[in-house]
Amino acid sequence: MRIRSRSIAALFVVSAIAGACGSSAAPAPTAAPTAAPTAAPTAATSTAPTAAPTAAGLGTATSDAALCTAPTAPAGTTLTVSSYGGAYQKAQRTGWFEPYAKATGVTFVENEESANATIKSQVESGQVTWDLVDVGNDFGLAGNAPLLEKLDYNVIAGNEVIPGFASDYRVADITYGVVLAYRTDLNKGVPQGWADFFDLAKFPGKRGIYDYSAGGVFEIALMADGVAPKDLYPLDIPRAIKKLDTIKDSIVWWPGGAKSQELIGSGEVSMALMWNGRAWSAKNVDNKPVAIQWNQQLLTADFWVIPKGTPNKEAAMNFLAWTICKQNNAAPSDSIPYGPTNTLAKANPAKAPELAATNVNATTAYFNDQWLVDNAKMLDDQFNAWKTK
Amino acid sequence: MTAPAKVNGRAGRKRGPLVTPWSWLVGPLLIVLIVAFLVPMWLMVVRSVTDPPGAGLANYQEFFNSEADLRVLGNTFYIAAISTIACLLIGYPYAYLMAIVPQRVAGILLIFVLVPFWSSLLVRTFAWEVILRDVGLINTTLKGLGLIDQPLPLIRNTFSVILGMTQILLPFMVMPLYTVMQRIDPELTRAAANLGAPPAKAFRRVFLPLSYPGVTAGCLLVFVLALGFYITPTILGSARETMISRFIADQIQQRVNWGLGTAMAVVLMVLTFICLAIASRFVKLRDVYGALGDES
Repeated sequence: MRIRSRSIAALFVVSAIAGACGSSAAPAPTAAPTAAPTAAPTAATSTAPTAAPTAAGLGTATSDAALCTAPTAPAGTTLTVSSYGGAYQKAQRTGWFEPYAKATGVTFVENEESANATIKSQVESGQVTWDLVDVGNDFGLAGNAPLLEKLDYNVIAGNEVIPGFASDYRVADITYGVVLAYRTDLNKGVPQGWADFFDLAKFPGKRGIYDYSAGGVFEIALMADGVAPKDLYPLDIPRAIKKLDTIKDSIVWWPGGAKSQELIGSGEVSMALMWNGRAWSAKNVDNKPVAIQWNQQLLTADFWVIPKGTPNKEAAMNFLAWTICKQNNAAPSDSIPYGPTNTLAKANPAKAPELAATNVNATTAYFNDQWLVDNAKMLDDQFNAWKTK
Repeated sequence: MTAPAKVNGRAGRKRGPLVTPWSWLVGPLLIVLIVAFLVPMWLMVVRSVTDPPGAGLANYQEFFNSEADLRVLGNTFYIAAISTIACLLIGYPYAYLMAIVPQRVAGILLIFVLVPFWSSLLVRTFAWEVILRDVGLINTTLKGLGLIDQPLPLIRNTFSVILGMTQILLPFMVMPLYTVMQRIDPELTRAAANLGAPPAKAFRRVFLPLSYPGVTAGCLLVFVLALGFYITPTILGSARETMISRFIADQIQQRVNWGLGTAMAVVLMVLTFICLAIASRFVKLRDVYGALGDES
């Protein structure tokens, strides 16, 4: 006797449901922690920035305020913080959430799925549950104003933050570098910068690049072609594409941080455009022969934003200010090589050499977040048109 | 030989009236379907023309003006079609085998099809990556055996994408096919042999046409599912294998440009409906629903 078709159908339907639940739980890893490089200060010099602060002015708060050394919060306060999970959020937890909770009695509820779209849907539906969100550099600019609370720079020490990394609706909480990471065993010699990244004759092998039009792909092509960091914007896309065509068939696109770490770790690529934290992990956690070339890095940051309409606005603002204070700002860099954003903050000397902020030199470039966001569609179109040809 | 009794144009059991005292049982499902499915779909269509406010057809214009978007859209249908054909070529013999072996063996074959189905899509896709990549299982084995010098380009191309998608979609092809096949009376094929047809001809003239409802059901199911894939093509393919759902996800999640994202989604949805409409010219869609578990 054959298996009855009814039982087949029932089994199939149950499997389909189970399978659908399983597969839908796998979102596309487009934005990993500290994804989407943001624009940099508009004056893209790498020395102590002299760029003018934003139009809003950066207030009067300093790190000498009592808020920084002896913070307080009303009893029973709960703060919901959303970040990117993993080692990144763990470093924020040990560096910021736990000490602050100990000092003030605030209870932290953590979320690990920070996403721009979630902020938008929360604010639009009027049900804001996140008090503080860590976002990438493509969010928090003037265009997102309807979704965010204006930051209070009479409480936050904005004038101590690296210029350009604090504005009306967002302030940088950690800096990181988009760097050239390379395999020491697969490359003869040390690549000196992006020109070597594009030199397949001298350094054969595949190249890993972040699969995002605003991820640095055009910037590094221009720098490899000889453009100075301060002249990067507005991006000369045709020129960048011409340069990228020289390595097009050797490019392996990575959609998220974990993938980039794996690509360089497995040796499938001999050089990669990567976030410095991931390169550090490939070397120190996975024990692979990976090194970082700090020349011509793109220094950028992740930012704190406060969704509009959150019931705990003041508590969130105070905690945010506390993390920016020079005494507290560098705390996460003890566990993860992501740097302080307060120019007066001192990172652990043992960890300082691993931080992007410490490795800034005359060749360091910055993203122009505003330009990248304003031209997002054009960038996406050009990038996709070239990539899919 | 008399034909089996036909009611409402279909052989088989007699169907009852539409409304019975038990009809209300459909109610809860209908409500869930409307609230959780139809309403959000409508809202999505509305948003595509109202975000940003006053957009009208601007989002659609933006989409159709973009050379890259259109190329990727075409590519999506192309890859979905190839995947469907691949699934059919592999799934049909497998289902046929399941239909002719003893029941216990068929049960084991069924488990082989279903078990991968129950594991995570992401895990299976990454497993393919580990097997196919330049430093992966196949290449290091072949290199170790001295058969090749340079790694074979098995990954980051259309081949690996089709391979990954076919493996994931195969159960959706095999199940409807098997359901239909094992209801086909083996006496019919034997009768054809009795009348002098060689095995191949008996198969082609008797079995194959009777299995068409299963083929249609499987192909439609696989095709529509394949259109929505983007994780597997992203991981296993190169930029040339990008599928439109990836763009939709980027616009919704990263760019937070919901107007454009929903417009793209609406375009995909409409095109899919058009495909189904075209398919319905060639096959009775009612047969498809019958293939998915009618009473035998």
